[in-house]
Amino acid sequence: MGNTSDKIKIITKYEGMPNSRSLDTYLSKGGYEGLKKSFSMQPAQIIEEVKASGLRGRGGAGFPTGLKWSFVPQNIQGPKYLICNNDEGEPGTFKDRYIAELSPHMIVEGMIIAAKAIGACKGYIYTRYEFFEEIKWLEAAIQEAYKAGFLGKNILGSGFDFDLDHYTGAGAYICGEETGLISSLEGKKGQPKLKPPFPAVSGYLGRPTVVNNTETFAAVPWIMINGAAAHKAIGTEKSAGTKLFSISGAIKRPGVYELPLGYSFERFLNDDCGGMIEGRSLKACIPGGASAPILTPEELKGLTMDYEAIAAKGSMLGSGAVMIIDDRMSMVELMKVIADFYHHESCGQCTPCREGTGWLANIMGGIYHKEGQKGDVDKLWTVAKAMEGRTICALSDAAAMPTKAITKKFGDELRAFIERGAGA
Amino acid sequence: MNSSNNSSIFSEKLKTVIEKELTRYETKRSAILPICHAIQDECGWVQEKHIDALEKEYSLNRIQVKEVLTFYKAYKQSEPKKFEIEFCDNIVCCMMGAKDAMAKIEELIEKQGVNSEFGLKGVPCLGVCDQAPAMLVNKDRHHKITNENVEKVLSRYSSTI
Repeated sequence: MGNTSDKIKIITKYEGMPNSRSLDTYLSKGGYEGLKKSFSMQPAQIIEEVKASGLRGRGGAGFPTGLKWSFVPQNIQGPKYLICNNDEGEPGTFKDRYIAELSPHMIVEGMIIAAKAIGACKGYIYTRYEFFEEIKWLEAAIQEAYKAGFLGKNILGSGFDFDLDHYTGAGAYICGEETGLISSLEGKKGQPKLKPPFPAVSGYLGRPTVVNNTETFAAVPWIMINGAAAHKAIGTEKSAGTKLFSISGAIKRPGVYELPLGYSFERFLNDDCGGMIEGRSLKACIPGGASAPILTPEELKGLTMDYEAIAAKGSMLGSGAVMIIDDRMSMVELMKVIADFYHHESCGQCTPCREGTGWLANIMGGIYHKEGQKGDVDKLWTVAKAMEGRTICALSDAAAMPTKAITKKFGDELRAFIERGAGA
Repeated sequence: MNSSNNSSIFSEKLKTVIEKELTRYETKRSAILPICHAIQDECGWVQEKHIDALEKEYSLNRIQVKEVLTFYKAYKQSEPKKFEIEFCDNIVCCMMGAKDAMAKIEELIEKQGVNSEFGLKGVPCLGVCDQAPAMLVNKDRHHKITNENVEKVLSRYSSTI
C-alpha cells in the first residue's frame, strides 16, 4: 500500500450530514462542480482524464472505466445510451444501496459527466426491485436535478441534452450482468447475450450503450474536480482510488467502509470493524461477494485489499463484499446456501450452468440432509470444473469458483460430515 | 374484445399509470415490467384477466407479458396472502440466525392459526447484510430479526400474533 492518505472520503463525503440526500446539501460541499468542470472539456478529454485516473469498474469485474467509454463510437448517427447498474444482488454486497441512501445526486452527477463523454442522449438507473425506499430517493434526486437544470435540454447552457430516468428490476440476480440488464430494460427476460458485440457497439435496442456500476459513476465527479493524478495517487499502482467495502458477518461493526485500495485486511478487520464478535473466531473470509473463492485465516495474513493482492491469493476483490465467516458456521451449510443460490438464479440459457448448478444443489442437498455419498466432494469438484468457461455469461463460473475453493480448502470438513451423516 | 372501453377491469388510477408507462420508454415493450409492478401493487398479483385486458386494451403481446411474469421472481404466481414474509436465507443471514428466526415464524403462524394471513418463504440476499438477518413483510424491510424479537415485529401486522 503506497499511500498514506488514509480514509480519504470520495464517495462517503456526505456521511453524517443531515439531509445528505437533498440537492441543497449536495451543493453545499461541491456537488455538481465536477459536472461544470467536465462541461468545459471536450468529450475525448473527459475520457482521457478518467483513463488516466486509473478508475476501474466497481461492480466486480474491475475493467478500466475510461477504456470502456472509449469503445463507444464517437461520430455515429442516432442515439447512444448510458445505464447505471444499480441491480446490486451479489450476496454480501450492499454498498450501492448505501450510495443511494447517502448521496443519490453523486450517481446522477457522475452519469451526466459520463453521458457528456460518450455523447449519450438518454440514461437509466436500473435498481433491483427490493430497494423500495432507495428507488424513491433516486427518483427524487432525478427530479431535483431536472428542476435545477442539470438534466434535460441545454444543460447549464452548454447545448448538451441528456435525459435520465429510473427503471425498476423484478428480482433476478442475472440482471446484474450487463447484457442481461439490457435485455431486462428492453422488457424481455433478463438473459445475457454473447459478446461480442459488446454493448459499447450494440447494446440497448442495438445502439451503443455503456453500463457502469453505481459506485463507478459516483467516483467520477471527484475525479473531474481533483484531476486524474490526485485519484491515481490514492491506492496502489494498479488499483487506484478508494473502494467501498460492504463487510458483514461475525464482526462487531459491520457496514460500508470507504478505504483506499491496498488497505491492510487485518487492520480493516481488527481496527475499523472492531474484530470478531465476542466468543467467535475467524474461520474463513469471502473477500468479494458469493462468487469469490473463500480464503483461510492463513491466506488472509498480510493480505491487502486491492485487485492484484486478492487475485494473487486465488480469489477476487469483486464487488468489495467481505463476508467474515466464524467457527460456528458449517461449511456444509455455507456450500449449500451458495449452491442453492446459483441454482435458483441461473437463467437456464446455457446447459453447463443450468445443469451444473442443479447438480451442485442436488449433491449439497443430499449431503446437508445426511444422505451424502462417499465420492460427493470429488463430484462437486468435477461438476464445478465442467462449468467453467463454457457459457455466455459469468454466472456459471461464479458458481464454480467458490465450489472449487470450498471443496479444496474445507473438503475434509465436508467429508467428515458425510461420514457422520452416513453413520447416523 | 370490441372497444367497449368503459368496461375496463383496471381502475382509473391504474389506467393512468399504464398509459404513462406505455409512452415513457423508447419501446412499448419496456413498459411491461413497470406495468406488471403497478398491477401487482394494486391487485395483489397479475392474473390471466389482466393479461387479457392488457392485450385487448393496450395491444400488449400476451406472450411477452407472460415471459416477464414467469421469468422474474418479483411477480407472484398465485394470490398472495395479506402479509408475505420474505426472509433472506443467504450466507450472512444464515450465519446470523435466519434459520432459527424462520422456524420461529413458522411456529408462530401455526400456533396462532394465521396461515391464511401470513405467507413465508426464503429469498436470496436482500442487500442489507450489515443488518442481518433481514426480512421483508410486503414492502417493509426489517433488520436484525432473531427468534427472540420476531414475534414483536410481526405483532405490528396482526393482532392475533
